[in-house]
Amino acid sequence: MTISRLAIWAGAAAVALLGNIGIAAAQNVTISVWSGGTGPNDNYRVDAIEMAADILERERAIAGEDLNITVEKKAYPGWDDFKQALTLAAEAGNAPNIVVTGHEDIAPWSQSGLIVPAEDYLNLDAWPINDIYENLMEIASYGGVVYGLPQDAESRPFFFWKPHMKAIGYSDEDLEALPARVQAGEYTLANVLEDAKKMQDAGVVQAGYGFYPRPENGPDYWQFYTSFGGVMEEDGKLVLDKAAMQRFYQFFADAVAAGVTRKNHIGTPNDQWYSEVPSGKVGIWHGGTWHYARYVNQEGLKDFFGNIAFTLIPAGEGGKANTLTHPLVYLLTSKHGEDETTIAAELIKIASEPRINTLHAIKSAHLGIAHQQSNIDLYSSDRWAREATERLLPHANAMPNNTNFGVYWSAMWKGLESAWTGQKTPEQAVNDVEAELRNSLGEAIVIR
Amino acid sequence: MDASRDKTGLPPASGGAGRAPARRRLGLLDSSRGLGVLLLLPALVLVILFFLMPVVLTGVFAFTNMSTATGISGGAHQVSPGSLRVLTERYGMGELAERLGQPTYLVDERGLAALEETGIAPGIVASLRRGHLDESFASRREFERAIRALPDRPDTRTVKRISDAFSRSLANARFTDAGALVAAAEAIDPDLTPEEKDALASATYTGWSWTTDNFRRLTSSRDTTRVFFNTLFFVAMTLVFFNIGYAMFLAIATHYMPERPAGIFRIVWFLPRISPVVIYVLLWKWVAWDTGFLNAVLSDFGVRPRNWMLDSATQAWFFVIMINGFVGASMGMLIFASAIKAIPETHFHAASVDGAYRWQQVRHIILPQLKWPILFVTCYQTLSLLTSIEQTLLATDGGPGGATEVWSLWIYHTALNNYAGNLQYGYGAAMALVLVVIGIVLSLIYLRLFNYNALITRPRIEL
Repeated sequence: MTISRLAIWAGAAAVALLGNIGIAAAQNVTISVWSGGTGPNDNYRVDAIEMAADILERERAIAGEDLNITVEKKAYPGWDDFKQALTLAAEAGNAPNIVVTGHEDIAPWSQSGLIVPAEDYLNLDAWPINDIYENLMEIASYGGVVYGLPQDAESRPFFFWKPHMKAIGYSDEDLEALPARVQAGEYTLANVLEDAKKMQDAGVVQAGYGFYPRPENGPDYWQFYTSFGGVMEEDGKLVLDKAAMQRFYQFFADAVAAGVTRKNHIGTPNDQWYSEVPSGKVGIWHGGTWHYARYVNQEGLKDFFGNIAFTLIPAGEGGKANTLTHPLVYLLTSKHGEDETTIAAELIKIASEPRINTLHAIKSAHLGIAHQQSNIDLYSSDRWAREATERLLPHANAMPNNTNFGVYWSAMWKGLESAWTGQKTPEQAVNDVEAELRNSLGEAIVIR
Repeated sequence: MDASRDKTGLPPASGGAGRAPARRRLGLLDSSRGLGVLLLLPALVLVILFFLMPVVLTGVFAFTNMSTATGISGGAHQVSPGSLRVLTERYGMGELAERLGQPTYLVDERGLAALEETGIAPGIVASLRRGHLDESFASRREFERAIRALPDRPDTRTVKRISDAFSRSLANARFTDAGALVAAAEAIDPDLTPEEKDALASATYTGWSWTTDNFRRLTSSRDTTRVFFNTLFFVAMTLVFFNIGYAMFLAIATHYMPERPAGIFRIVWFLPRISPVVIYVLLWKWVAWDTGFLNAVLSDFGVRPRNWMLDSATQAWFFVIMINGFVGASMGMLIFASAIKAIPETHFHAASVDGAYRWQQVRHIILPQLKWPILFVTCYQTLSLLTSIEQTLLATDGGPGGATEVWSLWIYHTALNNYAGNLQYGYGAAMALVLVVIGIVLSLIYLRLFNYNALITRPRIEL
């Protein structure tokens, strides 16, 4: 064998060997992510995972690993369908690696073993987790264990259509002072009904459009319970405050009786509601920070700040002004390989990078999750994000992470619906909620 | 020829006839009865899979407390804040809950030895012993910070393994079975009493358990009566006014029409049944919505726009019954019309000659001969209306305020629809079981009432 032949053989062997190493080291992973309540403005909930995958692949490449991540994204516009699909898929062993959902799912899903604690896979002191607001991290935890990472924060303001407020006698100065007056408890839910009535009497809005609340079930309604002094949970135990619940039901029954809210409002299609409220057809309503994006991007509202004033949810009798934050969280599901879940955990960590999260925060008009976001121009130069954060977030409550909260929530909504539509008096409705909860939850709820 | 058969190992023909062995080989297929069973087998498998199994499973699920939180496939033992509370409140073992549930990380020789066994770098073990022996930490995060501060900073995965090795509490730990849980609890507290072990195992169990509680809930819930009467009202109204009444009207009306327009009418009334449910209901919604057809017309006459479908309980019922009724009426119409067609023409001619009016023909010729079709449609439609869900779900979703919540919809809302992600499968199955029982009882009553045996006997006269 000549030297040149030897060299060729050696070269071929080396190529084969290196090639083999290449094949052995290349790791192809598919990470699936499902997201609930995700409309056209919320694409970064799942897109952020894709961006994170790109960064993680580069990080691993530098460390000498050839990692190929394929991200499979699925966004559900609604919640009911999403939760049904996810829980049933999980029972069948087909859950995605990453789920973007409301924090209230942590309690039941951790009990059933559907999700695994994120802290088992992540260094909580590492960037960017160490920059996330502490209270949001608490909301993403259950029993002191961090189960997920906050995906966004938001809060739910009360909206007033400025031209209509002016039509019933408010000046620009009055409107500017309104948020402070609401916060101080000087402007209450009783005033809301009065002003809504005035608008209808003045003919600027039609009957039933003075106060035009969310037309379907949602976390928003717990705010009114809080406004009337209700507490959802105390020392880890659910609480039904009957008097507060009754005052809350009474408020909506009164709104219907006064003709400012329609008796058949619940069940109005969501799209209709979204298009009606920023068009001047409605006087007062409530929504969430993301409404800003919807009004401006989809519903054609040109001058948001010129037309709409926003405040906390005003206080009712026995309570104080408040708002509710309902952060979505990235959760990791069980029944996947250890390596796969480690990669999924890395991805949700990288997706929480302030710059990436800011894309979601600003595009969808949710609020940021981390301190440093206020140092990112895109975030700090956005008037909505800035004002909503300052005015609302310090007063925000969250729903409890409690396994039985879903049952409580269903009963609360059923009661409200029956009082609102006049099927029962508020008192009957509350008594029925109490009976239902005693029956279904027993000792797991404190009733007073 | 016989010899060559023997070589193949087949038994010799016993009767001596050449065809006998071939017959015997067919075995089950040899008789028409056996063949019948064989031919029915695929259908039987389908019946068992898709009809019997769901009923049996509903019966099984109904006696459990299954929900999303418990899972279906089985449980584990998890020391969660909820289970610690149960331990404190139900079993009065607050002190035990405190002892096991408080996160504690203790760097001791036992943990170090365990760590060495897992093959972790000796340098890490040595520096842990040197820097932190006998030190305890009250949170995992605090302890992991200390681990990361070691000279050869371990990666995240290793940090997790180390902190696991020194955990001296059961806080948030999850075990696949009670044995593992008790073993872990004994490692922390060797003096556990048998009662404490039992209480711990039962309080921390996350899976489902057998219970009759669903039926207690069902009988004592105020909703049960309301939903029951809603269902009764819905079935009776739809059946009487549409599935039988209106269907009969259509069948008789088209009977007296010339053939061609009658055919067109029947096709038109068949449309609700053949159009996809979602589109069919959406069309109704477009009629009734605030911005819909009805309001567009009525606003010209000064009527305030409103959502007609959900305006009041009466209106919601009106729509729900109409939507369901028009679908159901087409089937009755078809069956009644063909039954009327089967009545010999001569009866009508004879009646006309005798001077009978149309109404008298209907009363004395058509209706008496339609007894069996009416029976069939009543039976069939009662059962299908009892389980009907899709039209009502899409139209009113049980609203306003639960006014049109019927039993099947209630099952759906309980077992498959919860905003907070906690579906109550067990309770929903108990509700479904009630529906199954009602269905079976009703079927038996119908069969008895209309004398089913008479239906299947041979006719005594030939027409």
